Amino acid sequence: MSKNTCIEFKNVSKNYKELLALDDISFKIPKGEIFGYIGPNGAGKTTTIKILVGLIRNFKGDVLVYGRNISNDWKNLHNLIGFHPQEAGFQEWRTVDHVFKTFGRLSGLTSEQLEQRTQEILELINLSDVRYKKIVHLSGGMFQKLRLGQALLHEPQILVLDEPLSGLDPNMRFQFKKIIKKLRKSEITILFSSHILSDVQDVADKIGILNKGKILTIGSPEELQNSFHIGNIIEIIVAENTPLCENLEDLSNIEYVENVKSSKQLIHLKSDADIDLSITSIFELLIQQKCKIRTFNLVKPSLEEVYLKYVGGKTE
Amino acid sequence: MSLLLLFLDELKGYAKSKVMIVLWFGLPLLSFFIQFISPQTLEGMPISSLVALIVSSIGGTLSAIMLSTSIVSEKNRHVYELFLIRPVRRSSLILAKYLAVYLCLVIAVSISLTVGLLIDAITGDLIKNYLDITFESLIIGVSSMSITCSIGIFFGVLVSSVPLAAILSVYLGSQLSSIIILPTFFVEILNPGILALSLGVVITIFIMSINVILFSKKQF
Repeated sequence: MSKNTCIEFKNVSKNYKELLALDDISFKIPKGEIFGYIGPNGAGKTTTIKILVGLIRNFKGDVLVYGRNISNDWKNLHNLIGFHPQEAGFQEWRTVDHVFKTFGRLSGLTSEQLEQRTQEILELINLSDVRYKKIVHLSGGMFQKLRLGQALLHEPQILVLDEPLSGLDPNMRFQFKKIIKKLRKSEITILFSSHILSDVQDVADKIGILNKGKILTIGSPEELQNSFHIGNIIEIIVAENTPLCENLEDLSNIEYVENVKSSKQLIHLKSDADIDLSITSIFELLIQQKCKIRTFNLVKPSLEEVYLKYVGGKTE
Repeated sequence: MSLLLLFLDELKGYAKSKVMIVLWFGLPLLSFFIQFISPQTLEGMPISSLVALIVSSIGGTLSAIMLSTSIVSEKNRHVYELFLIRPVRRSSLILAKYLAVYLCLVIAVSISLTVGLLIDAITGDLIKNYLDITFESLIIGVSSMSITCSIGIFFGVLVSSVPLAAILSVYLGSQLSSIIILPTFFVEILNPGILALSLGVVITIFIMSINVILFSKKQF
């Protein structure tokens, strides 16, 4: 294990009776990295997370945090981890302040530390105005922030987020991601699980794709885009007052061009296409056809397409 | 440490709950009305004694329902996950709930009985012998409540449906708690108070041990 490794899963498997939830998964997360952990519902993300936070103890393999095995050293490691669960609720009679007091004390904070951290966290998650409000009166977004707040209360070095953006409106998602980006500066290591790739792609340093209990691939967003070749697309946008091309079907005769969608102004190239040669040929033909070209882009496959290819979904 | 913290936490929650507010005020009120609508004794049994048994039976049943339904609801809403990722023993979560509700209940029943005894004192009906019988009834009542509460927790831990937990707690909770006085019907030399207390403690410890084992095996 390198000195920089914060979390390491080594050959971890977990069964629920006959259902194999995790099948021999191994991965490492370096210190200070945001690791996007994505996969469809039922892929095994929550099981992985529950093992890491100590909610599941009976599993095969080893999980190390800073080189220490969580199965043997959980009493000393739990304080390093903050957990934002996917569904966990709070008892309805509690106020926001009371939630912080209870979980802060259970995490071992003193009264002074608790007061200071409560103020800091409430400010960070923008809930200072509702500190003494009962949690039943909070909106869904506030509730989600409260889950994040309790996870950060004891200044953990590792933050585990299980579907933190599910059910949030676009504004709240933006705010939440903003908080995560702020946390990045404090060098906290974040495991961010989601079944929606767009949730993690603009915050994650690395992304791991999980399906049916197996890790299919791990890499940075760029590496994932480059590693999975799903064909190149050329996008042409012409001036509005001119038709794209009078004889667009002529483009299909160019070597490597697979199909042309005039309505979307997209040209799909064959997977073995010589891109430079294809682009030159296409350009020449378009100029010959007197097309007024506004933009001409080589579109790479999106991460969403890469993800869907991995987990067996279909792209449009 | 975490048990004390959780106990005080639960106490704060339950003491303000609607069911407990009903018990805090409802049971003394019930005691007050029973004193005025009933004759002074029922076949030699003082009214205060009857009050002790009635209020503890009602209080115990309501508490069992409250405990079972709140545990089922908290399980379904994944409330315990946030506790269990911290250094909290599962047994502490269950024991804290039991102790908090039981304490609230004992206080509510004690207030009701004090109201009854005060009325007896004011009306001049307070006789030392009655005081002893009433105290014995209180012992039987709190022992029975202890069993009912532990049964409420048992169904809360065991089932996943709120209505089912409530129904089982009402029917089986009150039925099973009455077994503590059954032996006195057959063996007259047994002191009902001491017997109820002994059986109450033993049965409660037994059921609570099962509760702790079941709760420890739950996957959250």
